[in-house]
Formats: sequence, structure tokens, C-alpha cells
Amino acid sequence: MVLNAEKKDTGTNTLNNISKENNLPVIALIGMPNSGKTTLFNSLTGSNFKTSNYPGATVEYSVGKLISRYGFDAYIMDSPGIISLNPGSPDEDVTIDGLFHHPKFGLPDVVIVTCDVTQLSRQLYLVKQVIETGFKTIIALTMNDLLAKKDLEVSTEKLSDLLKTPVFKINSKSREGLSEAISRTESMLQDDSIADYKSRIHKLPLPSEDEVAKMYEYTESAEKHVLEHKTNKLDLDEINRKSFHSLSRTPDKSSLKLDKIFLHPIWGIFIFFISMGIIFTSIFWIAQPLMDLIDAGFSNLSSLVSDSLPPDTWYSSLITNGMINGFGSVMIFVPQIVILFILLGLLEDTGYLARAAMLIDKPLSKFGLNGRSFIPMLSGYACAIPAMMAARTISNRRERFLTIMIIPLMSCSARLPVYAMLLAFVVPPDKPWVAGLGLGALYLFSIIAGAVTAGIISKFKKTEEKSTFMLELPPYRAPVFRHVFKNTYYKALVYVKQAGPIIIVFSLVLWALTYFPNVDPVLPESRTSGLDEDQVSMLIESERLNTSFAATVGKYVFEPVLAPLGWDWRIGVSLISAFAAREIFVSAMAITFNITESEDDEDNFRHSILTSMREARSPDGTKPLFTTASTIALIIYFMFAMQCLSTVAVARKETGSWKIPLLQIGLYTVMAYVLAFVTYRGLNLLGIQ
Amino acid sequence: MITDNFIENTKSVADLKIGDTAKIISVGDDCIDIHCHCLRLMELGFTPGQEVTVVAKSPFKDPVAVSVRGTIIALRKNEAECIKIN
Ligand SMILES: Nc1nc2c(ncn2[C@@H]2O[C@H](COP(=O)(O)OP(=O)(O)O)[C@@H](O)[C@H]2O)c(=O)[nH]1
Ligand SMILES: [Mg+2]
Repeated sequence: MVLNAEKKDTGTNTLNNISKENNLPVIALIGMPNSGKTTLFNSLTGSNFKTSNYPGATVEYSVGKLISRYGFDAYIMDSPGIISLNPGSPDEDVTIDGLFHHPKFGLPDVVIVTCDVTQLSRQLYLVKQVIETGFKTIIALTMNDLLAKKDLEVSTEKLSDLLKTPVFKINSKSREGLSEAISRTESMLQDDSIADYKSRIHKLPLPSEDEVAKMYEYTESAEKHVLEHKTNKLDLDEINRKSFHSLSRTPDKSSLKLDKIFLHPIWGIFIFFISMGIIFTSIFWIAQPLMDLIDAGFSNLSSLVSDSLPPDTWYSSLITNGMINGFGSVMIFVPQIVILFILLGLLEDTGYLARAAMLIDKPLSKFGLNGRSFIPMLSGYACAIPAMMAARTISNRRERFLTIMIIPLMSCSARLPVYAMLLAFVVPPDKPWVAGLGLGALYLFSIIAGAVTAGIISKFKKTEEKSTFMLELPPYRAPVFRHVFKNTYYKALVYVKQAGPIIIVFSLVLWALTYFPNVDPVLPESRTSGLDEDQVSMLIESERLNTSFAATVGKYVFEPVLAPLGWDWRIGVSLISAFAAREIFVSAMAITFNITESEDDEDNFRHSILTSMREARSPDGTKPLFTTASTIALIIYFMFAMQCLSTVAVARKETGSWKIPLLQIGLYTVMAYVLAFVTYRGLNLLGIQ
Repeated sequence: MITDNFIENTKSVADLKIGDTAKIISVGDDCIDIHCHCLRLMELGFTPGQEVTVVAKSPFKDPVAVSVRGTIIALRKNEAECIKIN
């Protein structure tokens, strides 16, 4: 076999020289969106599905191995749907680039183009382009069952004669036609009669509008030529003359009916809010017990390990507080990611997701966003990490980056414990409902802040690139659960593999900052007398933190900066610790303020933290540290500050550069600071201390 | 902002009501903006001579869902305005 013997440079593609994994041939699946690529991919890779995903800045290729029943080894590569090989948007640009210069697989050896026969005149456009590009091409006709409902079928002989390329009717679910198509692929792989096959492959120049129109004239005549009446082949001329247009060019009838409901001015909005509400509550409430379980699992593991290691050693703390907790903070997001992607996958599969994006596009476009920004923003209320990953469905790069940009402003669930503690301090104990009201206001305010920020950024950062929507609304279909679960599994895996290491490194750095240099603080008798062992160890921990590098930074860097907001270095240290995750702020406060109650006893803990907050004095010792004004300022700070290193890591991964995450850190920290300052001083001026 | 890119007196897909069908006469002929997405619209299947039907509209009347060549494509109003009909 001469499968990959020739690895010639194509001139345009130096990457082609990079050796492929195991030197297996690569079969790429290309097709318009919803033409059945992924369904075919799943059938071809089957249980052999060993996918490695490549989430670059924008696109994701799935690669799997051909199942053994076809008798030869090859990689199958699934690609995101494209309309044409002319880069129409920056994202498609990346997709198409991946086709010509895939970093790991180079140029594909054979391309299978999936072609939805119910829209033959459209889909042949891409087919024609792929053939013209010079790829060894096989056409896989999909959705033949749907065409049969119109009593029509495609003549594969005629189409194959016309295109001078093998054409097969397939049904990926019943496996009809797959073995024929694949055995033809195999013989094509072995066929090296075309000398320098790969060097002949070239990108097409951008066509003119006239050329596009010409091409469509061609595909239309091709469609007329190859479509046949299924039961009554003689009547072809008659069909062509009379009912041709309505027969082959009408969209799925039941989808049209369903759209009357799902896009109805009243019912449409109603259904939209119900379905979004379900997503929101699921990622918020259903994930919670699972997250608690993971949390408990890691604390148990951590205490198990620390019991078996010599106590109070730096390496025991490194392993438990640094590594296990770091790994725990990676895993804690997995339930939300999994739930979100299952629900999104199901909604996308049914075809509703495209409708939902269409419904909400108008209001969001006012802020430079896109209808497809909505679900990521909504998910941001649970956690920014799955939310940023969900932004992958936004095809316009600019709108996608803008969405990722504002996601950290959405009031994520990690802020909840912080708000709860701070609101409990501000609100009179006899009026707990005020805290609930305040919380509602914070949620509302965060969406307004996000929208306004997006609006301002898109006003300032004008681009040539015009915002577009142009979204195909696929026919409504029953979702395939197995594929959705599989897909979700790989997305979660990619998250753990890609964002995990960065999050762990950040956690370790934070651990070192809060642990060193005063590793073994010595406490005077007077402070420890009368306390039990647990309380003493809490005090030791507190002393260690309060003399750590983080505290030094807090005292000398943060204190002068924070003083205008009415805060001192202890809040600064808690803020540094909270970079690991916002909710850590609460326990860090407990440590810095020498709380000796354990967090496990919630009522006691809350009571004692509120008491120490009330007792805490400002740096000069004259005023209380926590006043209504300084606490509200702290709440405002938390609304805006980019207080989450995991989010930074994921923003880096998802956008492919440090630009957006650094901008987020810079902009949101300044915004948080300025707004907290304005709040604090403003309240002071109003006479509220 | 969008309208100054176009000559006003021709009808476009944006003017169609739900259920209306029309034949495309041109796509983006009067677009002055070079960053217009007219080529894209044509690649999606909106070519002169093709029949299109507006099948639904978002509750905010924008975007509109247009059926063309056996599929449905949602277009923003300003995109639909590029597609002139008779
Ligand atoms: N009726 C029918 N549905 C199909 C066929 N092939 C795929 N589908 C469905 O079409 C939808 C889109 O397919 P998918 O593989 O996700 O398309 P992709 O966007 O090209 O990856 C899914 O709901 C599939 O179950 C087919 O031959 N007949
Ligand atoms: Mg797919």
C-alpha cells in the first residue's frame, strides 16, 4: 500500500511535512451544517470512537478511528459545517484552514462530502467546490428517506456521471450504503495514479457574484437532471414542468407547522422563557448536590492524606491544600459543564436552539451581541467556565469574543456565599427579606452591567467586519441521546485536560503565597490558653496566613490602595485568596479574622464571622472596619472584579490568546475599584457610614 | 444607518409578510458597502431567479425566516434588504 508514502510539499502547505500519527490515512468529512456529517462520523467510528478534540481558538475537530469491520485502518475527521470553501466568516476561515493545514493530520487523503438530498441545488454548491479544489472526493447522499416522502429519489449513476466522482446513497443510522462508500474510499486511498495528488490541491479564489450565480445555474440543472420520480419514472418531464419547484424546494412540512408555535409572538416568547428557565435552574440547582458531593469527596481525601502524612509539614500542606484542593477546584465545575452541554446538545439536536437564537437576536444586537450569545450569558449565572465553552456556538468571532468578555460580569453561583455573608452584615437581622430583595437587585444589575459593557465595548471597538446573523433553521428532529452524551463526555474531558493544568498551577502559586514564609508560627501562651486543639490549629493557620507573602503584599501594596474604600489589608489578603474561587473569600475572611469556629457548624460560623466583622477596627483603630458603606462597596467590588483564576484560564483557552483575559483583569479590576470607591464615598456623603 | 446603503424604491425580502412568496431579481446590486455580506447570501442559495417565501418572523419582527431551496434561513432585516424582489 502506498497510502502515505508520498508526503510532498504542496507549496502552500509546509505543515504537510509534519508526520501524521501512525501514518494512517485521513478521511475528512465535509458538508454543510446539518447535512449529516456527525451522524456518519459516529457510525464510521462507532465503538472505536477514540476521539481527540482540538479546540483551537474557534473550531473543534473530532477525530476517530474507522471501526474494524471495514477491514482497514484510517482516521476519520469530523469538521464543523461550512457553506462553501470561500471563507465567509473568520470562523469558517479557521475551519477551512484546518482542512488544508491541519496541525496534526495535514491534508486529508480522501474527502467524503455529505450532501442532503432534500436541498440538492444548495448542497451541490459545496460538493462542486470540493471537487474543483482537487481533493479525492466521494459524495455521500444523506436524507434519502426524507426525499422519498416526496416520492422522489436521486439517480446516483446520473449524478456520478455528471460530477465524475463516486456517489453513494447512505443512511448512517441503518448503515445502508456505508460499506460500499467505504470500500470505494479504500480503493481511492490506494490509487496513486494521480501523480503528486496532494500538490494539486489548491484553495479556490474568491468567486465573483456572477460566478456564484453561474454555479447555482449549474447545480439547478444538475438537480433537475438527477432527481427522479420514485414510483412513476416515466412522468419525469411532467413533474419538472408542473410541480418541480414545490416538490423539491419546499422545506420540511412539519417544521413549518412547529415554527408557527415556536416563533409565535406570544407562545414563542413563553416557550423561550420556559426552556431557558429549565436550563438555568438545572445548572444552578441540579448541579449543586453533585458539586457538594465532589467538594466533600475532595475534603475527605484531603483530610485522609493529611492524617497519613506528618502533621504541620510544608509538604503535607502542599499536597492537601495545594494539589488536592487545586484538583478539586478543577473538578468542581464538571457537573455544571456536563449538565449544560447535555441540555444544549439536546436543544441543538431538536433544532430549537437555532430558533431560540433567532428569537432573542434583536434585543441582544442592540448591544453588539448576537442571538447566540444568550445561552452563554445565561449559563454565566451558574458558572463562567461552562458559559465560555458554550460560546463556541457563536459563529461570528467578534460577537463570540464580546460574549466571552462580558460573561464574568454575570452573577455566578460562587458569588452567592459572599453576597449572603455581606448582605447579612448590612441588613438588619429582623428584616431578612431585605437581603433577598438585595440579592434579586444584584442579579438584575449584573445583566444590565454586562449589556452596557458590551454596548460600550462594541461602540469603541468598531470593525470592518459587519455583524451578521444568517442562521439556517434546521428541521425539527428527535435528538439522539447517545451522541449528545458522548459529545458532552468529550467536552468535559477537554475541559479537564486543557483548563485543568492552568487552574492547578494557579492554585499552587496561590497556596505558596498564602503559606510561606512563616511556616511554623509560634503563638504566645496567652493567646492559646484555654483553647482546645482544633481552635489552636485554626489560630496557627490564621497566624501563618497573616504573616505570609500574601499578607505582606496585602499590607504594603493593597492597604494603601484599599484604604480609600474603607478596607484594610485583611480584606486584601482575603481578596487574594479568593482568586482561587470567589467563595473562598468567606473562609479566607474567617482565617484572617481569627475565627476559631469551624465552618461545618454553619450557624455558629456565621454568627462568629458577623461578630468579628462588627468588632474589627479600621487600620488606625478609631472606627469600625466594616460599616454599611464599606460593606456595600465590597459587594459592588465583587460584582465586577475578575476574581476567578479558573475563568482567566478558560478565557485564555477559548480565545486562543491572553488578550481577552488580560483585558478582563485590567478593565474589570479598575471598574470594580472605581465603582466601589464611588459607592463608598457616595454613601458617606449621604450620611451613611 | 442601513438604509443609506440602498436605493429605496425597490422591494426587498424585508418587505414581505409572513406567507408571501416572491422571485429574487438581484442580490446586493445597490450595496455600496464593500463589507456587505451579499456574496455570502448568494452562496447560501439566494440567487437571482430563485423563489423565496417568508415563513416566520421573530416576535420582534427581526430576524425573518426565509425558505429557499428546501431549507429555512433566518436573516436579519438589514441582510434581507439586500435581496431585491419583484
Ligand atoms: N431522516 C434522516 N435524518 C438524518 C440522516 N442523517 C442524519 N440525520 C439527522 O440529521 C440531523 C443533523 O445531522 P448531523 O450529523 O448532526 O449533521 P452535521 O451538522 O452535518 O454534523 C441529526 O438530527 C441526524 O439525526 C438521514 O439519512 N436521514
Ligand atoms: Mg456536526
